[in-house]
Amino acid sequence: MKTSSFPLIHNRKAMVGALIVAFILLVAIAAPLLTTYDPSARVGRPHQAPSLDHWLGTTRIGQDVFARLIYGARTSLAVGFGAGLLITAVGTALGIIAGYRGGKVDEVISFFTNMVLVVPNLPLLLVLAAFIGQASPWVIALILGGTSWAWGARVTRAETLSVKQKDYVKSAEMMGEPRWRIMTFEIFPNLISIVGINFIGSVIFAIITQATLEFLGLGDPKVVSWGTMLYGAQKASALSVGAWWDILTPCFALAFLGIGLSLLNFAVDEIANPRLRTGNRLGRWSALIRSGEGRL
Amino acid sequence: MAFLLRRLCFYLAAFVAAATINFFLPRLMPGDPVQIMFSSAGAELPPESLQALKLTFGFVDGPLWQQYLTYLGSIFSGDLGRSIKYFPLPVTTVLGNALVWTVGLMGTATLVSFALGTFLGILAAWRRGSLFDVIVSVGAIFATSVPAVVTSLIVVFTFGFTLGWFPTGYAADPALDPAFSLTYFGSVIYHGLLPMLTLCAVLTGGFAVTMRNNMINLLGEDYIVMARAKGLSDTRVMLWYAARNALLPTVSSLAIAIGTVLGGSLVTEVVFNYPGLGNILYQAILARDYPVIQGQLLIMTATMLVANFVVDISYVLLDPRLKRA
Repeated sequence: MKTSSFPLIHNRKAMVGALIVAFILLVAIAAPLLTTYDPSARVGRPHQAPSLDHWLGTTRIGQDVFARLIYGARTSLAVGFGAGLLITAVGTALGIIAGYRGGKVDEVISFFTNMVLVVPNLPLLLVLAAFIGQASPWVIALILGGTSWAWGARVTRAETLSVKQKDYVKSAEMMGEPRWRIMTFEIFPNLISIVGINFIGSVIFAIITQATLEFLGLGDPKVVSWGTMLYGAQKASALSVGAWWDILTPCFALAFLGIGLSLLNFAVDEIANPRLRTGNRLGRWSALIRSGEGRL
Repeated sequence: MAFLLRRLCFYLAAFVAAATINFFLPRLMPGDPVQIMFSSAGAELPPESLQALKLTFGFVDGPLWQQYLTYLGSIFSGDLGRSIKYFPLPVTTVLGNALVWTVGLMGTATLVSFALGTFLGILAAWRRGSLFDVIVSVGAIFATSVPAVVTSLIVVFTFGFTLGWFPTGYAADPALDPAFSLTYFGSVIYHGLLPMLTLCAVLTGGFAVTMRNNMINLLGEDYIVMARAKGLSDTRVMLWYAARNALLPTVSSLAIAIGTVLGGSLVTEVVFNYPGLGNILYQAILARDYPVIQGQLLIMTATMLVANFVVDISYVLLDPRLKRA
């Protein structure tokens, strides 16, 4: 099989990815144990370089960057997984319904899917967020869920079309199982790999997009997250005054998490049902990348 | 032909959908939409210009459908209203000036990364399993999983602020007058190089992975085996038999990628203080200049639709089967 040309690398990738994500998750959960500083309070002099007191220095208004980093991980992860779940749920449901029902239902869903795909995502999000004002992380998660499901729906629909030709689906139909049952118990379990990949891709996308929206000043600046850290650092001209710790900390955190999640995506593909595999291992994942899912 | 016509109708519908979102959003907000759109910017508008603004955004007396038609009418006649921040400049002027820079930056970056990524993908697939393939694949994963805003910030910090090799703002030396002179063009290229390279770093990986996978799927085909059996040279089989056919799906994925490029370009411009759409948008967000933010969505959607249509046309040219359809 051509996919196993270097299986060791694949497994290593999955392992490293899982470790990275687990590490960030752990740090986020244990945040109060790791620092005594309040992430929003002024606890030091402005723009101090990293020291023993402030491991990653302080921001322009004297907040502890390390405290903001580990508390911010909570927000970024929560929004990422929340929005990722929402995006995947909507995309999967619409994809399966369109693919299985076919006909008019399919036409309507596919039309809307293609329409959403062709309207550029970020400008649309910007307009929505601008009218909402200082959007809280949960509002951002909600509008992400509402606008970013299209690629998942398209991919799921395509897979559903091939699964519904399978004998076990036909026999379930013969036995007179209701449609919702066929869709939930015959088709959905066989799409689990594509749903998993869609989910992780959406989590990456949501984390990045939330950070981007907040960086552009559309988030609530009082919230502690990696996006508002970027926003605060940019607004304080951290780069031109040489306060690299202020801006590079959230940068590397986001890059680290993004890489970890992408590597994890391979793990899902490994566990996935090999019979559903149409291309090689990277195939569907790269399709997700190309669509802009998982990245801005 | 029928195919292209169908696509054209679809794009028109998509554009109207974006316009519809623009129309309903302010009306869905609690309170008076006019108040929200024009007062939160904190700018003082003379009453007669407020009246003109209201007209452009369809805030006329009458039922909703009449307001909607007024709004669509003004959009299709090319009137996107006036900017609040740069009053009385029309939104189209504000955005039009910036669009030139964005399209230039985006176009170059897309072409360069498409060419480079495709080339890397071809080579990686041809030598799959080799060290080169591993480096390309892993590099692509890294490049595509790091957000554009992060890549941009790190690049501008390293090469702009720390090493001082490149300027950290503007599209050209502000002391120079825009003219068709070598100095001016040189300055434009010097200022655009770093954001362009950043966008390339963000984009190349995706193109490489797509091309690599398309190639690998094709390399097992009979006609490749046949070409090899005929004793054709490796380069010929690789480029003329495999790569040519693998390129087709890549071109269609290019259409979807354009949305990504737009988003990435927005963020990169903000970080590099480049006077394109992204920067205008950033300023507009800070000033809550709603007409500009909304105009942005329409212009970006239109850009994306045009680019998609161009890709459709090239697809028809590349794939003879579609001509008959």
